[in-house]
Amino acid sequence: MTVKPAGYQAVTLSEERTGDFETKLMRINVGPQHPSTHGVLRLVVDLDGERIARISPVIGYLHTGFEKTMEHRTYQQVVTYSNRMDYVHSFGHDLAYVLSAEQLMAARVPERAQRIRVILTELNRIASHLVFFGTGILDMGALTLFFYTMREREQLLDIFESVTGVRMNFGYFRVGGLYQDVPESFEHDVRAFIRSFPKMLDQYSALFAKNDIFVNRTTGVGVIPAERALEDGLTGPSLRASGVPLDFRKAQPYSGYEDYDFDVPVSTAGDAHARFEVRFQEMRESLKIVEQALDRLEPGPVRDPDRRISLPPRSELETSMEAVIFHFKLVTEGFHPPRGSAYVATESARGELGYYLVSDGGSMPYRVKVRVPSLVNLQSLESACVGGLFADMVVNIATMDPVMGDVDK
Amino acid sequence: MTTEGAATPLGPLSERVVEALGALGGRLEREPFEVRVVLPARVIVDAVRTARAAGFDLLSDVFAIDWLRYPGHQGPRFSVDYNLYSIEHGERLFLRVDVDEDEPVPSITGAWKAATFLEREVYDMFGLRFSGHPDLRKIHTPEDLEGHPLRKDFPLGETPTLFNDGRFLDPAAFRAGMIGASGGLTGWVGGARKGVVAEQVDPAPAAPRPGATRGDEGER
Repeated sequence: MTVKPAGYQAVTLSEERTGDFETKLMRINVGPQHPSTHGVLRLVVDLDGERIARISPVIGYLHTGFEKTMEHRTYQQVVTYSNRMDYVHSFGHDLAYVLSAEQLMAARVPERAQRIRVILTELNRIASHLVFFGTGILDMGALTLFFYTMREREQLLDIFESVTGVRMNFGYFRVGGLYQDVPESFEHDVRAFIRSFPKMLDQYSALFAKNDIFVNRTTGVGVIPAERALEDGLTGPSLRASGVPLDFRKAQPYSGYEDYDFDVPVSTAGDAHARFEVRFQEMRESLKIVEQALDRLEPGPVRDPDRRISLPPRSELETSMEAVIFHFKLVTEGFHPPRGSAYVATESARGELGYYLVSDGGSMPYRVKVRVPSLVNLQSLESACVGGLFADMVVNIATMDPVMGDVDK
Repeated sequence: MTTEGAATPLGPLSERVVEALGALGGRLEREPFEVRVVLPARVIVDAVRTARAAGFDLLSDVFAIDWLRYPGHQGPRFSVDYNLYSIEHGERLFLRVDVDEDEPVPSITGAWKAATFLEREVYDMFGLRFSGHPDLRKIHTPEDLEGHPLRKDFPLGETPTLFNDGRFLDPAAFRAGMIGASGGLTGWVGGARKGVVAEQVDPAPAAPRPGATRGDEGER
């Protein structure tokens, strides 16, 4: 496949040519199979010496056609697919989907379900940022932190496994609530994590924040000014690292985020170091949210009692004919939201994430458009990389934190 | 958050922008959960510039909808939607352009670079062309895929597939297997669903295509 140069700004070669020594742009291919591309990201890079003159992402290697598939599944079945896009922050995708579907259905989610959703989404955000840190610093050649972050992530995955039965691709949220209540061990496990994790964060901090090699490799690298970031459509922690305090948990609170007291870390530097720093601070903030939500977790139902949306309890099926009828209707065809469209923007670990759903009154969404953060954020790679060193490109990819499943859909 | 049935209230910024877009020929549509302005395709670049200058500083998304199978839909087949957000005011505004298949949409990449990938995605998935786009190529699907997958008339499961061991999956036979008209490749015969009287299920046997050979052997 050739990359059309048309449309990219004309590239001027280095002015430093002297005498009969000529420089020429060199086009090299990076990926798609390369550890530092975090999946199957392919980049076609034009190099002017050691500097990047042009960078063009080639994506689609992981394209799965999720949107098309979702348009042929009932609203409740879509939950199986949504979390497979961003497999690192699965709960974020599940939450974004169910919020849009609940808006269409006017479902009322019980408070306990909301709190559990917030706890799991925030824990998953921490797990996602842990992957970001481990692999990001691994890209710079430091192996140790990767094992540390994976150790803590393991603790989180154990919690997720005890709640949902699986360690990835959870599919635990339902339109109108949750699949089932959390196990008894849940609170104890999460509290244990809340106790132990701040110490771990201090350990990480000692490992990299004061590390000269890390600081030198990231400070001033891949600077994206705020205006440039907005021009590129950048969202999430990377945008906040450029000084724009946009966090949809604060800006347009959903799932009861307005109840929790937390800060939105913002940095104005806009470089790779700021992107690391913002995410590092975010983990502490997420932990604060988890603790508050856990404190306020009261016993109660975890599903909307509305029979149009939720399956009746198993016990009722033996005694109530009505329950059997609702059960049959929900299982065979699902529910029918009224005509219209819905979009709820959420803050995933990577940026603005939302499902635009169009309902034609049928039991399957007429159109599902997923506003995935990674795809749009990838456009900022050009702003971050052009003019910089080739070796810094790896740092820039790492700090953009793309998940290729999220990019390619 | 609004209640069902009530239209979304207009924020102060949206009100100003909607008024300015009205001068460009924009028509306000207020849905329960979103504020949308429908515009003629030729003014979309000006409209986006206007909205951006007024304070909508984040282009969240550009996407298309194929209305082909939407019950009761009238008018052009496609619409292209622009999802704008104002960070300062916390307001969201959708712009919509209704277009037919062969009608090019002016690209807004000149007004907003963030649309580059998003318009490529619409082009790839729906086959809508954006005039003035600097780099209009496919983005998600492989180069040799013909057609645009998110169109409502894109055939599903219709691509003849040749497996390594020489078995050939013929779409017609595969479909017949799925609806229970034949054993298909797996030998599984779908039939009456529970709760449906068997006699009522009489799927028309799918006509094998010319050239269909191996897939039909599983019939029993």
